[in-house]
Amino acid sequence: MSPRFDTFSPPPTEPDPYATAAASEMPEEELDLDPRAAAALLDQATRRAERRFELRPSWLTLTAAIVALVCYGVLWLSVRDQHPYRGPAGWALAVLYGTIAVWATLNAVVLRRATRGVGGRAARQRAIIGTAGAAVWICVYIVQGALDHAGAGTAIAYGIWPAAAPLIVVGAAAAGYEAGRARAGAAAFAVTAVVLGAVACFAGPRAVWGVIGIGLCTLLLAAAAVQLRHRRT
Amino acid sequence: MTVEELDPLIHAPARLRIVATLAALPDGDTLSFTRLQDLTGLTPGNLITHLRKLEDARYIRSEKSGNGRASLTSIRLTRQGRDALDTYTVVLRDLLGQLPATGN
Repeated sequence: MSPRFDTFSPPPTEPDPYATAAASEMPEEELDLDPRAAAALLDQATRRAERRFELRPSWLTLTAAIVALVCYGVLWLSVRDQHPYRGPAGWALAVLYGTIAVWATLNAVVLRRATRGVGGRAARQRAIIGTAGAAVWICVYIVQGALDHAGAGTAIAYGIWPAAAPLIVVGAAAAGYEAGRARAGAAAFAVTAVVLGAVACFAGPRAVWGVIGIGLCTLLLAAAAVQLRHRRT
Repeated sequence: MTVEELDPLIHAPARLRIVATLAALPDGDTLSFTRLQDLTGLTPGNLITHLRKLEDARYIRSEKSGNGRASLTSIRLTRQGRDALDTYTVVLRDLLGQLPATGN
């Protein structure tokens, strides 16, 4: 018996099945596979594994579309009749933070399930990307504080900047990352988000929330449709 | 092209499931023994038997970390294993192309 499958060592308190289970004494599964059955099995096993390892399933993208519409929508509802512009109301911010908290929890659950038992280089890379992304996101709001401090005005500091900057900054980072991995579709999605954020700035501090909400929701719905189509082919 | 040209190390239902599952991970990622067992539906003993064959052929590598309660065995597909699966897939496609349509 190979030492790496040593079954004679004392079992740990809560045994690792790999360390404690004996190699099967049952006849090994060596069925005569015909090519069609092998192809079906390979396809089935690959699809099953891809589904179970998927970090962003299509239903999550669909949920993201609804979250974007709700978050930007409530902020737009709270500012649309403001003359002069004063920025999003407290109740709208409460809905925004509540929705983001639920969304973040949902993402964490999906991520945890997909990456259970997964380790190694790509897993470490994901952790670095997550940390870098969070840092970039926080910086967007640090600049918002700086704009306010510098007297940029409510329309800029609490209107156009917080509505468009997260989309532009995070979208640009994502576009660079996806382009580096030669994933044209994902890079195109990220660039479209950046363009949406930039163009929406012309709508002004009130309408920018609504324009981005509808635009981002549409973009995410399209992404979910592409994901579903990709899964079926 | 004949069925004999299919890599016999991969051309077995259990090992095909194991290799396909590991290949779904990005290159360099590892999978715990427990999760692999869950995904393939094999018993621990049966899984070990197949993993041993694949490791002897250098298609996979297993690493053990920790002791006692923290003990964890991780498995990853090697470059050689990924290449073997790619070759297996190409041969399988060629074989399927030679077969007559079933009509269903």
